[in-house]
Amino acid sequence: MPSMAEHANTLQNVSAKDCMLARVRSARGADESSREEELQEIARHLAAHPRGPRLMIEDDVVPAKAIGVVGSMRTRFLERARGMASTCEEVPSANQVAHAVAAYLTANGLPRVVVAWPEFASLDWRAAEIDFASRPVAATDLVGVTGAFCAIAETGTLLLLSGSETPATTSMLPETHIAVVHADRIVANMEDALALVRNDHKRLPRAVHFVSGPSRTADIEQTIVLGAHGPYRVHILLVGSGTGSGDDDREILRGGRHRFI
Amino acid sequence: MRVGLLVTCLVDLFRPSIGFSALALLERTGAEVFIPSRQTCCGQPAYNSGDRRTARELALKTLNEFEHFDYVVIPSGSCAGMVSRHYPELFNDDSDTQHRIAALGARTFELTDFLSNVLPVTIPQVGRQGRLTYHDSCAGLRELGVKQQPRSLLANANIELIEMAGAEVCCGFGGTFSVKFGDIATRMADNKCEQITATGANCVALGDLGCMLHIEGRLRRRGDITTQVLHIAEVLTGSRRASAGSDASDKTPARRYICFFAPRLAGAAQSWNLSRYTSKPGPARNCGTAACKRHYATPRDVL
Amino acid sequence: MQASLRNAQGRFIEGRAQALAGVDFENLRDAAAEIRDRVLRNLDLYLEHFERTATNAGAQVHWAETSSDVNRIVLDIARRHGVRRVIKSKSMVSEECALNDALEAAGIAVVETDLGEYILQLAHEPPSHIVAPVVHKSKDEISDLFARIHRTPRKTAIPELCREAREIMRPHFVSADMGISGANFLIAETGSTLIVTNEGNGRLTTTLPRIHVAISGIEKVVATLEDAATLVRLLPRSATGQSITNYVTINTGVRRDGELDGPEHFHIILVDAGRAKLLGSELQSMLRCIRCGACMNHCPVYQNVGGHAYGWVYPGPMGSVLTPAFVGLENAGDLPNASTFCGECAVVCPVKIPLPDLMRKLREQQVERGLRAKRERVALKMWLALAQRPRLYALTTALAARMLSRLAGKKMLLHWLPFASGWTKGRDMPAPAGRTFRELYREKTRKGVKSDVRD
Repeated sequence: MPSMAEHANTLQNVSAKDCMLARVRSARGADESSREEELQEIARHLAAHPRGPRLMIEDDVVPAKAIGVVGSMRTRFLERARGMASTCEEVPSANQVAHAVAAYLTANGLPRVVVAWPEFASLDWRAAEIDFASRPVAATDLVGVTGAFCAIAETGTLLLLSGSETPATTSMLPETHIAVVHADRIVANMEDALALVRNDHKRLPRAVHFVSGPSRTADIEQTIVLGAHGPYRVHILLVGSGTGSGDDDREILRGGRHRFI
Repeated sequence: MRVGLLVTCLVDLFRPSIGFSALALLERTGAEVFIPSRQTCCGQPAYNSGDRRTARELALKTLNEFEHFDYVVIPSGSCAGMVSRHYPELFNDDSDTQHRIAALGARTFELTDFLSNVLPVTIPQVGRQGRLTYHDSCAGLRELGVKQQPRSLLANANIELIEMAGAEVCCGFGGTFSVKFGDIATRMADNKCEQITATGANCVALGDLGCMLHIEGRLRRRGDITTQVLHIAEVLTGSRRASAGSDASDKTPARRYICFFAPRLAGAAQSWNLSRYTSKPGPARNCGTAACKRHYATPRDVL
Repeated sequence: MQASLRNAQGRFIEGRAQALAGVDFENLRDAAAEIRDRVLRNLDLYLEHFERTATNAGAQVHWAETSSDVNRIVLDIARRHGVRRVIKSKSMVSEECALNDALEAAGIAVVETDLGEYILQLAHEPPSHIVAPVVHKSKDEISDLFARIHRTPRKTAIPELCREAREIMRPHFVSADMGISGANFLIAETGSTLIVTNEGNGRLTTTLPRIHVAISGIEKVVATLEDAATLVRLLPRSATGQSITNYVTINTGVRRDGELDGPEHFHIILVDAGRAKLLGSELQSMLRCIRCGACMNHCPVYQNVGGHAYGWVYPGPMGSVLTPAFVGLENAGDLPNASTFCGECAVVCPVKIPLPDLMRKLREQQVERGLRAKRERVALKMWLALAQRPRLYALTTALAARMLSRLAGKKMLLHWLPFASGWTKGRDMPAPAGRTFRELYREKTRKGVKSDVRD
């Protein structure tokens, strides 16, 4: 049972909506008789969701299954990710991830403590002498490790989707964000990434985050400073050789699952 | 080939020499050049002030005066833009006139555009002294795509051009803007003056008299009395001190004139009232004769 | 201020040029304009569709006819949920509403989290640029401000200032009950809001607090995710010269089963506040605007006066159109005339808004409604009367040429002109040469040359 105030508010809202829509309709000269046709046209556009002009990446036209395809998509991705001030490291296979993280932490003078998405729990963190936790991050955590749904070559971008196993905050609060993504998950552009999302998810996840490098601000005298409210550092571990030969991790990912392992 | 020259109101009033230079250049194309005597103003000030009705009436007047020419040429990017880009919009409710005026617009060209792309001419070398830079006036540049045309004509005449930084940035004239927002316009002109000075050029050329008045006005107020501000047509017809080609126009026998109809009353008033006040002895300024050309190479040279 | 503006503008202009190098800008912006027009043609239907999809995803959609309705709705939501602390990421619509003042008046603490907006909140100033709100302030001013308000030792390096702001802000992010954001686009297909940010404050604002309120103009709807992707290809390039912003965030509905983060309540406020009446009008194309700021970055007038001179929320050429449209032509000063019509804004606009043409339309409305100064109207009338009477015109100009030439003397410069002191205050007026072209021409043809003298 809604309170009186809430009820009144709902009524007000309904009438405001009617007024606004009526105003829009009359301003655009809407004709009731063509409404059905217009709705159909809209439905057609939504169903087709055509893509606009895109930058072509050399091998974008080659089917994603082709051997060696990742080659220049991979080059473009790494180049653009570095252009956006991410650091990138190529790791041959998933079981080397923990060691790569350890090396990165040491090199940057960071403590060997990470909070990560659950999917990485099976990696051998102990061998890498890293204190690993899979839990929601707190504001004080320094390093967050996430996977990525896919990566975008055009802009050097990671796509992270929210979910019960993929909490968004892990990539937001810590000063260092380490993202692990398989080379096979590099797509050409945002449209291709969205197509993958459409394919894998019946409904759009609550939060779709395109992440391109560490947070930054240029608000003071237009001077770019890395590290504003988000991470100061984004380190990308690109897993897989991309040659397509005998790479187990690729097989795991082929199923269209959006998690890394 | 009949070409109508729309002199523009500012050239008529302020710098007749530009009109004569444009005429001389057009005659090099071999076309017959006509200057309809009843022309006044294309209506741009009214149009840009939001006075649509006035603009429409002046557009109709221009249409009637220029419709029968093969081409209309204007030594001003903004006026040419007015005729070719904006006139048709004024007649959205009158498709017949719109059709006629769009056809006129399609035959209307800014001077350097015409001389480069419609009836290309070779420009005789004029032997300029000193360095020259070029300011791209806004309307010519953005409405008509006038960018390479003046540069290729300058190259054609073997005149060296030193590009200034921000050549495409507005000088701040903007018609009534320069009076209404005088302080802002002055600051914008200052930016332009600094860029001109930085090139070390002794002359800035451009294609629109509005910008010329504005830039020259600011240069002089800043105390720069040496940098010349010239219309591209003046530059191309050359330092008229020079010999040969410069007075070719006087010798063109096929030249056709349409006399300006200045009423007797005006003539009388002028001779009776004002002739004794005309400023200088000797030939009238920039009347276009060979003698005059020698004497008054440009308005600036008079200083 | 001018020096810092010029510096900033230089960076924006150069950045945009670099970001668009090798990109078929005309092709891209044709597509972008069509994406915006498609929705505007059927805006009511798209809004209804958006409401449906957003509601299905768990959001609640509110309709605000005016800016004060926006404040009322936000306060109402805050009251219902017992909100004490609010964080905000950048929203220009909330600037239209003066939402912060309304929240504070209701005893609710509100903190702007965009660094620029935060600085302005401390300084009690409005933004002067829609993308770089604090572009008018120098580093030193900000150092002083932080030292005074934060009571910390004065920092001078920009990274130190940024870190200080981050550290001050963190507790606010964690403790806020409500996050308020704008929306760069509303996606009808999925009922989502899309925001582009660089600082990461937008992600935190839309993720951490239990209530997320997104405020957006009704015109921000796009049809599909793909349409949004096309616009995202243009927006950062046009705004800051980035090929993409650090973050592009699409939010759809509320926290789902099993999720450990995300808001429990998501309210989307659709704001009219003067937008609907632009539909079907000669200013309709202004509704395509995606708020990139390229028009002001490239505007030589903006560069010389800064954003505050435009008097309201939106500066630059887009403000010169939006302000009169939203607050009324009679309340907008002489904004439609604050342009030289140099046309650069229309050249760089990523959605092909013919800004000078729209300003000219507003000037026409001023004339029709008698909002122009009498002196100006009289002058125009006189000009028309002259220009339509060639004989009188010839006489008058001949007289004027002589008088002005005489007045100017040997130097041929006028230092003062009646009715044009606006000009002569800062510039000389080169004087007419003494005789008009038509006089000289007539004289010449009479004297010399034979053929075809016609009247």
